[in-house]
Amino acid sequence: MRVIVQTENVTKTYQRDQGVPIHAVRDVSVAIAEGELVAIMGASGSGKSTLMNILGCLDRPTEGKVFLDGDEVNLLDDEMLARVRNRKIGFVFQTFNLLPRTSALENVELPLIYSERDDIEGLATQALEKAGLRDRSHHHPGELSGGEQQRVAIARALVNDPEMILADEPTGNLDTRSSYEIMALFQELNRHGRTLVVVTHEPDIASYATRIIKISDGRIERDGANQHIRQAQDELARLTNMTEAK
Amino acid sequence: MKTARIARSAFKGLGRNKLRTFLMMIGIVIGIAAVTVVVSAGLGAQKRVMERVKKFGLESLMVFAGGGREMGPTSGQPVVTLKVDDAEALERNIRAIAGVAPFNRKGEGTVNYQGKSINTGIWGVTPSWAPVWDWYAAQGEFISEEDEAQMARVCVIAPTVQQELFGGANPVGEQVRIGNVLFEIKGIMQPRGTSPRGGDMDNRVYIPLSTFMRRVANVDYLTGIKVRLRSIKNMEQTVAAMQPLLRERHKLAPGEPDDFRIITPTEVRQVAAKIAGTFNIFLVLVAGISLIVGGFVITNIMLISVSERRGEIGLRKAVGARSRDIRLQFLLETMVVTLTGGVIGILLGFVGAAILRAVTQMPVSLSWEGAALGVVFSSLVGLIAGTQPAKRAATLQPVEALRA
Repeated sequence: MRVIVQTENVTKTYQRDQGVPIHAVRDVSVAIAEGELVAIMGASGSGKSTLMNILGCLDRPTEGKVFLDGDEVNLLDDEMLARVRNRKIGFVFQTFNLLPRTSALENVELPLIYSERDDIEGLATQALEKAGLRDRSHHHPGELSGGEQQRVAIARALVNDPEMILADEPTGNLDTRSSYEIMALFQELNRHGRTLVVVTHEPDIASYATRIIKISDGRIERDGANQHIRQAQDELARLTNMTEAK
Repeated sequence: MKTARIARSAFKGLGRNKLRTFLMMIGIVIGIAAVTVVVSAGLGAQKRVMERVKKFGLESLMVFAGGGREMGPTSGQPVVTLKVDDAEALERNIRAIAGVAPFNRKGEGTVNYQGKSINTGIWGVTPSWAPVWDWYAAQGEFISEEDEAQMARVCVIAPTVQQELFGGANPVGEQVRIGNVLFEIKGIMQPRGTSPRGGDMDNRVYIPLSTFMRRVANVDYLTGIKVRLRSIKNMEQTVAAMQPLLRERHKLAPGEPDDFRIITPTEVRQVAAKIAGTFNIFLVLVAGISLIVGGFVITNIMLISVSERRGEIGLRKAVGARSRDIRLQFLLETMVVTLTGGVIGILLGFVGAAILRAVTQMPVSLSWEGAALGVVFSSLVGLIAGTQPAKRAATLQPVEALRA
């Protein structure tokens, strides 16, 4: 299996104005391979978001090395990092981070603005279609439900055809049904070969991943394949049956 | 391609926030409108100055009787030392002089025609007046050598006088009364407009100098001598030659001040420019200050906008915007605002200048230079005002920005 991103003894330390430095991530070595759907689990403050930022080249480690697609990230300057993020990584955030008063289509086009690609509208439309939102492309975020907004964000993450999608608590602001819909979408993308990393503190969400990494206090506590992968589609079906039974 | 996309994205951002954009723009609109009005008025004044200098004649000098610094004849006791002989001596002795036109005048005189009257300047001039001023009779004839020799009771009137006394009718051959003496009208002068000092050069009556001196005013001295040079180049040397000649003729001892003044076009221009230009400096200052204030307002609003849009900046960086892409976006936003404001300001300024001209009769000149200046100024303000906010936006770390 091809390794997409790999860390070697990565440590991230935050120095507050005064007082003891905070080790958000300590000596973490991990590799994410192509085709995985990885859940990074941990309580709040465990360092899982910091690890995700480092995996996504949004942040640099204080110590240790990061390799993305074989390139050593530490050696890249800010401009090249921006390029790497643009081409190889798609981000999904807990709060969706869509531009207000801007259509779904234009939100999805955003990463393409900073690429050299042509036909940005066509690519954005395709991405929206993959996220199941083609008919909503001209709606503004304010006119969409939370689940729909997150799907716009997923379309935006997909539009550059990245090596890997990183999602930070993607269901944190969603109701149960929308959460299942998002996870079902992630599982479907994963079935088609997409690599995804989902940061979550909910064991329920992690149970849809193929692999679960548990972080505690900045260190990896457990890392292994998920023996009981659940299907979000089944949960959705169950929910639908329940509603119909009523 | 990429830059164009970023520009489009910046432009859309402005459209999404119309109130903010409007508030940013309004200061620049007012500032540029003010600059446009001031520049238009200034150019108008300058144009008027140049017209006046041209009327004075670029290759002409004026010798006035009496010393002192004011332009034109001194008030109070008339100075009696400048004579017709002086004019002849100048023409005879200084080769650079092409012609002289000695004159005397009465500032206020009454001219009557069949119960109508007009207060006008009465000028005693020689036939050389016309070629020296390059100013001729439009109808009829100017004063001739014969008229001068015979102290003839003839006159040439200027258009304002004609309009007042005769309306549109042709007055050549009619008799008018100047004081108590009847004069026959020989001709009508070409219109000349306003003098460098702002007087109406078309409200005059010309009579032969000899007639003026003997029959009207009973004097033997002149008000001044208009001198025409062969070439504009010899102005300085000619003045330098004229001064000792006149001093010698007037028997002035060394150290005694001149009893005459020689006025050149340079001095005419300076005086006229002073009259026209004094208030402009003040107005330019006011306009400049309003632009600076507008710039500060823009910087302030953009800085607020940057902290408000941290999330957007973080997102853009996360999806691949480089620092310079962000800087470009915010700089473009500011510059689009100021440029648009500038263009609106220029249009408003043109309207304002047109109103100013209609209401105050001030000379106003709408020019593309003024418009270009407005565009340059507003872009400059945008560039300066936008630099700091754009820099702040560009240097935000993506993780920090996304946390907000």
